[in-house]
Amino acid sequence: MVRAYRGAFADALQYLVLAVWALVVLFPLYWLVTTSFKPPLAVSQGPRFIPWVDFRPTLEAWRDLLVGPQSSAVRRALGNSAAVSLWSTVVVLVLGAAAAYGLARFSVRVGPARNADVLTWMVSQRMMPPIVAALGLFVLLRKVGLLDTRLGLVIVYAAFNLPLAVWLLHGFFQQVPVYLEEAAMVDGATRLQALVRVVLPLTVPGFVANFLFVFMLTWNEFLFPLILTFDRAQTLPILIAMQHSQRGVEWWSLSAMSIITLLPTVVITVLLNRFLVLRLLMGAGK
Amino acid sequence: MRTGRVARTATGPGSEAGSATPAPPRVVRLGLRGRAPGAGGGTLVLPAALLLLAVSIFPFLFTVALAFSRVSLIGGLSIDFGTVYNWARLLNDPRHWNAVRVTFTLVVCAALLQYAIGMVLALILNNLRLRGVHAFRVLFIVPMALTPIAIGYMWRMMFHETYGAINGLLRFIGLPGLPWTSDGRLALASIVIVDVWHWTPFMVLMLLAGLQNLPAEVLEAARVDGATGWSGFWKVTFPMMLPTSLAALLLRAIEAAKLVDEIYIITGGGPGVATENLTLYAYYTGLRSFDLAYGATLAISLLVGVMVVVSVLLQLTRRLREVQLW
Repeated sequence: MVRAYRGAFADALQYLVLAVWALVVLFPLYWLVTTSFKPPLAVSQGPRFIPWVDFRPTLEAWRDLLVGPQSSAVRRALGNSAAVSLWSTVVVLVLGAAAAYGLARFSVRVGPARNADVLTWMVSQRMMPPIVAALGLFVLLRKVGLLDTRLGLVIVYAAFNLPLAVWLLHGFFQQVPVYLEEAAMVDGATRLQALVRVVLPLTVPGFVANFLFVFMLTWNEFLFPLILTFDRAQTLPILIAMQHSQRGVEWWSLSAMSIITLLPTVVITVLLNRFLVLRLLMGAGK
Repeated sequence: MRTGRVARTATGPGSEAGSATPAPPRVVRLGLRGRAPGAGGGTLVLPAALLLLAVSIFPFLFTVALAFSRVSLIGGLSIDFGTVYNWARLLNDPRHWNAVRVTFTLVVCAALLQYAIGMVLALILNNLRLRGVHAFRVLFIVPMALTPIAIGYMWRMMFHETYGAINGLLRFIGLPGLPWTSDGRLALASIVIVDVWHWTPFMVLMLLAGLQNLPAEVLEAARVDGATGWSGFWKVTFPMMLPTSLAALLLRAIEAAKLVDEIYIITGGGPGVATENLTLYAYYTGLRSFDLAYGATLAISLLVGVMVVVSVLLQLTRRLREVQLW
C-alpha cells in the first residue's frame, strides 16, 4: 500500500518537473509573442503579462513591418535569408550526398588515407571556430569581390555545413543494404541506374529531413553574415541585430521581427519531429 | 544416346537460332563490406573536398598566416608576413586573458548545468512510459532550433531591469529586481542561463538516446540486487552512461566555445568586458578596429584552447575505457 503510494508520488513529482521545464521553455516565447502586440506605452510602463487584462493588444508593430516604412528592409532581409538558405542547402545536399555515397560504397584512397580518415577529416572541420576562418574569408572575399553578395554567403554556408551533412548522410547510406544495389546490378543495371532506381526512393525521407535540418542551420547563421555582408545581402538575423542600435530599442517591432525569423525554424522542427529522424534519436522503439 | 537430343531440344529455339548460350550473370565485385575499388569513389568525394579546401581550410591557413604578420589597411591592404609580434602582444594582453577566462567559465558552467538538467529530464522521459510524453518532446526540442539572435533578443527583453519580465515576476513575489545585464558577474550568469535554455534539449536528446541503449539485462540484474533509486543511479546507470556523457559534454563544449550570437545582442560583451569571450574579442579587434593580424591571433588562440579541451576529454575517455573495459 505504501509502495503504491510512493510510486504515484514519484510519478507525480516527475510530471511536475516536466511541467516546470515546459513552463520555462514556453514563457520566454509567450513573452516574445505578446510583446509584439503591445503598444509602446504598455512596454514603458513596466512589464505587462496578459493581453486584454494588462494591456490592449494592437497590430501596430506588425503593420509597420509588413506594409509600413520598415517593410522594404524586412522584405529584402527575408528574401536574402530565403534565397541564401535555399541555395546553400541544395549545394550542401548535392555535394554532401555524393561524398557520403562515395565514402559508403567505394574504397577511397588519398595517399595513406582511407575512407574512415577522409570522413574524419571532413567531420573534424566542425571543431574549428567559425571566427578563425571568417577573418581569412573577409580578406579573401574582399579580393574576389564577393563581400556583401548572396553568392558569397551561399558558398560560405555550403562549405561550413558540409561536414555535418556528410556525416549524417554517410551514416544514412550505410544503413541502406548493399545487396539491393548488387541485385539491381546483377539484373543488368549500371551503377547509376541502381542508384537512381533502387537507393534514391528509399532515401527520400532521409533527404527531406536532412534538407530541412541544413536549411534551418543556414537560416540561423549570424557570425558569417555579420562579417561578410554590409547591407545588400543582409539576412534576417543581421537585420535584428542592427536594429537595436539604430532606432533605440523598439521592443514591439523587434519582437515581431524575431517572430518572423523564428517561424520557419519552428515549422521545420515540427516537420522533422514527424519524420523518423527525431523519433529515432529519442528512441521511439515503443 | 537419347539424352543428347533431349538436352538440345530442352534449350529451346535459342540454341537453334545459333546464338550462344545465355551470358553468365555479371559478376558484381563490390569488394569487402560492399565497397568497390576504383576511381568512382574519389570522383564523388572530390567536389565536396574541393569546396572544403577552398572555403574552409584555405581561409583558415590564411588566418594563421595573418597571425604571424603585420597588416596595414592604409592605402590599400598590405600584409607583411613573418613576425611573432602579435603573439608577444597576446601573452601580455590582460583583455585576452579575461576573454580566455570568460570563454572557459561559460563553457564549463553552461555544459555542466545543461548536463545536470539534461540528465534529470532524460531520466524522467526514459522512465515515464505514459502518454503525454510525446507532446513534451516537440516542446523540449524547439529551443534548440530557434535562431540564436532571436533567442538573444528575447532574453535581452526579459532581463531588462525595469521593463523586463524576470524582474517583473521577482517584484511580483516581493523580491527586488536584479541588475541582470549591468552587473559584471550577473551578466555572465545571464549568458549561462540563456545558453542553458537554448541547448539543454541537445543534452536531453543525447542522454536519452544513451539511456535507451543501455543493456536492459544489466539494469535488471542491478535492480534485483537492490540497487534502486539514488544509489542505483550513481553505482550503475551513471558509470554505464559515461561514454555518452563524455561525448555529449565534448560536443557541447566545442559549441559553447564558439558562442557569440547571444552575447553580441544581450550584453555586447559588457558591462566593460565582463562577458567578452574570445570569439567576440577577436571579432571586435579584427573587424571593428580593423586590426586583422591581432584579431587573427586571438582567433587562433581560441582554436588552440578548443583543441586542448578536446584532446583532454578524448584522453579521459580513453583512460576510462581502459579502466572500465567497455
